[in-house]
Amino acid sequence: MDRRRFLTWTAGGAVGATVAASISHFEPFLKKREAGATRVEVPTTCEMCVNKCSVIAVVENGVIHKLNPNPASPKSRGMLCARGNAGIQQVYEPARLKRPLIRAGERGEGKWRPATWDEAWDFTANKLLGVKDKYGPQGSLWSSTESFQETFFKNLGLSFGSPNIVRHPTLCLASVNLAYSATFGTVPAFDLANAKYVIMSGANRFESFITPDTMDLIESTTERKARLIYLDPRFTVTAAKADEWYPIKPGTDLAFVLAMLNVIIGESRHDKEFVNTYTVGFDKLIDHIKSFTPEWAEQETEIPAKHIVRIAREFSDAAPRAVYYAGRRSSWYREDFQTRRAQAILNAIVGSWDREGGMVPNGKIALGEYDFFPWDDPVAPRIDEIDKNFPMAAKGDGAYLKLRENVLAGAPYPVKAWMIHKQDPMNALPDQAKTIQMLQQMDFVGVIDVQMSDTAWYADVIFPESTYLERQDPVEAMSGIWPVVVYRQPVIKPLHDTKPTLEIVQGLAKRLNLSQYFDFTIEQWVNAQVKELPIEAPLEYLKKHGIYVPPDFPKYGTTLNSEHRFVTKSGKIEIFSDRLQEFGYDPLPLYHPPAQSPPGTLRLITGRKAYFTHANSTNNPWLNAFDPENRLWLNPATADSLGVADGQLVEAASTAGAVRLKVKVTQEIRPDCVFMLHGFGKRAKWQRLVAGVGACDAQLLETAWDKVSGNAALHETFVKVRKV
Amino acid sequence: MAHKKRYALVIDSKKCIDCKSCVVACRAENNVPLRYSRNWIDEEHRGEWPRLLAAYEPGQCQQCESPACVRVCPTGASYQRPDGIVAINETECVGCRYCIIACPYDARFFREDKGVVEKCDFCAKRVDRGEVPACVETCPSKVRVFGDFNDPNGPVRRLLESRRYYTKKPEAGTGPQIYYLL
Amino acid sequence: MKKIEWGYLIVSYLFLGGLSAGLYFVSALASLLPKNGEENAYKRIARIGALLAPWPVMVGCFLLIFDLGRWYRFWKLFFHIRWTSPMSLGSWLLIAFSVVAVLYFYSWLTAGQRGWLFSRVPKRLTFLHLLDRDISGKQRVLALIGLPISVGVGIYTGVLLGAVQSRPFWNTNLVAQLFLFSALSTGCAVIMLVLAWQHEPADSHGLQLLYNLDIALMILEFFIVVPYIVHGQLSVQAVKDSLELILGGPFTLLFWVFFLGLGLLLPLAIEVFESLPVLLSRATVHYNQRLTAVTALLVLAGGFLLRYIFVFAGQMSRFN
Repeated sequence: MDRRRFLTWTAGGAVGATVAASISHFEPFLKKREAGATRVEVPTTCEMCVNKCSVIAVVENGVIHKLNPNPASPKSRGMLCARGNAGIQQVYEPARLKRPLIRAGERGEGKWRPATWDEAWDFTANKLLGVKDKYGPQGSLWSSTESFQETFFKNLGLSFGSPNIVRHPTLCLASVNLAYSATFGTVPAFDLANAKYVIMSGANRFESFITPDTMDLIESTTERKARLIYLDPRFTVTAAKADEWYPIKPGTDLAFVLAMLNVIIGESRHDKEFVNTYTVGFDKLIDHIKSFTPEWAEQETEIPAKHIVRIAREFSDAAPRAVYYAGRRSSWYREDFQTRRAQAILNAIVGSWDREGGMVPNGKIALGEYDFFPWDDPVAPRIDEIDKNFPMAAKGDGAYLKLRENVLAGAPYPVKAWMIHKQDPMNALPDQAKTIQMLQQMDFVGVIDVQMSDTAWYADVIFPESTYLERQDPVEAMSGIWPVVVYRQPVIKPLHDTKPTLEIVQGLAKRLNLSQYFDFTIEQWVNAQVKELPIEAPLEYLKKHGIYVPPDFPKYGTTLNSEHRFVTKSGKIEIFSDRLQEFGYDPLPLYHPPAQSPPGTLRLITGRKAYFTHANSTNNPWLNAFDPENRLWLNPATADSLGVADGQLVEAASTAGAVRLKVKVTQEIRPDCVFMLHGFGKRAKWQRLVAGVGACDAQLLETAWDKVSGNAALHETFVKVRKV
Repeated sequence: MAHKKRYALVIDSKKCIDCKSCVVACRAENNVPLRYSRNWIDEEHRGEWPRLLAAYEPGQCQQCESPACVRVCPTGASYQRPDGIVAINETECVGCRYCIIACPYDARFFREDKGVVEKCDFCAKRVDRGEVPACVETCPSKVRVFGDFNDPNGPVRRLLESRRYYTKKPEAGTGPQIYYLL
Repeated sequence: MKKIEWGYLIVSYLFLGGLSAGLYFVSALASLLPKNGEENAYKRIARIGALLAPWPVMVGCFLLIFDLGRWYRFWKLFFHIRWTSPMSLGSWLLIAFSVVAVLYFYSWLTAGQRGWLFSRVPKRLTFLHLLDRDISGKQRVLALIGLPISVGVGIYTGVLLGAVQSRPFWNTNLVAQLFLFSALSTGCAVIMLVLAWQHEPADSHGLQLLYNLDIALMILEFFIVVPYIVHGQLSVQAVKDSLELILGGPFTLLFWVFFLGLGLLLPLAIEVFESLPVLLSRATVHYNQRLTAVTALLVLAGGFLLRYIFVFAGQMSRFN
């Protein structure tokens, strides 16, 4: 017996046996070493939509692991939606903007060269100064969407001397805000938690996005027997949850409201005491409303008259805990202002004002202000001639579509530089061909964003902004039934060579000789804001809790006294509006039927999903997974008549353009409408999940706007659909 | 007198609006790669225009009282904690997938990248820290109520004593511990 | 289940495991049955069975280990015994079976075969050569010990499926029996195939045993399939629905034409036809070699198909 051989064989066998055992045990040890020791929780504020929910970020070993809801916020009520949870992906997205970029090829070609910050700032400042020299400072346009740092961007434009500031409300809720302002002097909140009867036209609260109203409404309808009446050409999630859903003929909501007024006033069901004490113009309404009968409304809306009558009665019975919900995005029809006006009037006459379950004027918290050096107001008039075209509209926000029209025409003066912050006009504005034309007309386009949007794709210089989880922002006071002050602090250090907007602005200001207006740090700014808060060591408090919730809210009835003066011409709630009449608008809503679809066409309507914030999060992998490709919704009857089947490729064409996408045959839409989700069919190839996937609705939507506010009207497009 | 804890979930599907918050929260909390999901929303769409119905029902591991998955596991990797949570000890899992086949609820899935089986475990790490599972916490409609079934004054028992409910696939005989309110 | 988890590897393992069990069983039966004076009656088939029995299941085990998510953790199955898990019990059964089957194999080696085997072992490994012993005397003992173990292996593959209450297609006590009888039948078939393939004079005596055994097994199989379907149709909705898979669903053709028809009833008919003269007139019949081979192949195909259908259809069945 050869001992050596024996030992070798035994040893070999033993080694073989241990290999298997070792591999199994190896990994856990590796993992244990990685699962290290540091875990911190940092409160901050979400930026995945405009709701600004309070969030607590859990950071493990310097990596954001989870975003948890902050239970302290009465606004977010201890919840965090899909978008909020997916905020982590915005930070770690490999195709994020990581450094300044300067265009290397043609606009929209997608060729970029990385640049230093100095290069980017120098380039931009030179271009801006060049435009200023040739066309005056008004030759520059500064467009932005709401953010905590938007004010710095806006102020750069203003201090540069340009009056051309345009913001997102003119694509969103300008019409509804103006309607309520014209009636009540302010835009109220809606106390859905305590309402007993809620009517909604669209405003798909259970699907389009998650706000406190969503949470209040789901609770009051499921737990407290509140009744929800919902009007929508689509059977949305809200329709599924509502007590009654009517597939209203698109654009006829005003007829429904007028008929309700007709019934309530005709049957003397309004709150007489409230009307007499707090409103003016009711007497004019009585006559005005006589012709708008439920039978007439049935013809317009396709909602049976008997239901309209019953709803009107139930509504008035439930008042003051009854509201016709105003909604948020009101960018639907050319007559939206008047439709919302009618809703406001309806709420007013049943006395649903400043009471539990009704409209409640927003509580506000006063913040301090940093005393920065003031600049001279811009001299030139706005390019959108808003004073002339929309004299009642909010001037600071502008009228975007009219503005584009004027810029394209070069009249009243040329605009040659376009600075954009946190906005994607290529997708946000309808009629993309015109937006591209506008971009191409510019001598310079500069974009500040966190991701390569379609607009950034067409820019000359891109400034990469740090994401909200990497930034210190000014604090924001949010008004409402429960006003709060929210705080945003960096949760991790910026991953890449990015900067907050203030620093980007300061870099430009230096080169534009405007430094004196931005001569502060963000900390100084925040300090000035929070100084006035009635708490001990406010900054430390906010750093620790992420939010300040003042006591004593909600407050009802603060305006229901003889001393209170509404911010209207008469000092009262204006059912009849002199002011509207002065400007040549209907002082009481008159019904103008919506445009009818030409034969062979279908109306294109828009809407949102709970997990996509407009166009800017469709490329987020965690969210994109729920809907990787948008489709054109067709009712089965419509699909049959066109000879298309589910999943088939079709072409949809309007006067603005044509797109191709697959069809979704569904029962859940009116036969005379089509629908597609927003934010697909992108051009920016860096958004690899949605670039060229599905279709871009902005290419189809036609330019239309509300007469009074200039707000975009996105439901006025008719498309021809054919199979390809 | 201290009682034995037994965790359970009450789900009010009527409130579910299919916003997917719970799905994303779970993914973040438990590092689940995109191709898998520990929880999901079942949808039902019925009817013909304009008489339509749509309903949503969240689903996840039912943390059964008599878990078939634990019973069939050859190594004991799948086990039930004293508090009722059915968990997986990854180091012991050999990836035979018998448990996936044994589960009546499609709750388990095989992680090809790790070679082991995974499923919802009521965010056991969070629960042990005194928190609730991520899906419960994050929900806008507060569809899920999590708590100790054995606590007579706890939210779970109070709901089950005042409301009618059903459980999924009771005929499979595993004693699911997620109660769906009617 | 969202997708099929157990696929061809598991189907093959179940088939091979059953085959080993069947080979051992038939061999053991063949060595235990003969009365005094007739020891050699079934020696040939006993030897064939014994020499083949250990190997299919070992191949099957390799497939099984390869199918695991973490193959190198397979040894964990032998660090636990979980009495509620058919897989755990089955793993231990397989170990026991393999040990006994190898010993049994060894006991049936002729001196010449042993000599050949050990001539392959390097002379230096003297400790291995210590194993070169004649244990043919232990054949009957090993047969006796191994018989219940082989039945265990044959039946446990069915228990593996039958114990899963959530898959209505398997949710019946009959699955274990069905798999057992099928396993034993495949054992018969392989030995028949070897006999038919060998050019030695036909072993009519042995073939007669095999045919009788296989006929009995297949009749038993058939009378399990019938109540499986009849009772299933009268059972709870989930079970009834699951049977749709073979009553109009994707596995219908496979089940009725290929498994039941070509894999069970046709070989049964052939075997009965061949055995009729024997049964009627007690004559020693000369079996047709080619027919025997075809019959055996049909039985083997049927056995594989049975497991394929059950494993795949079962995973597609569910409580709704």
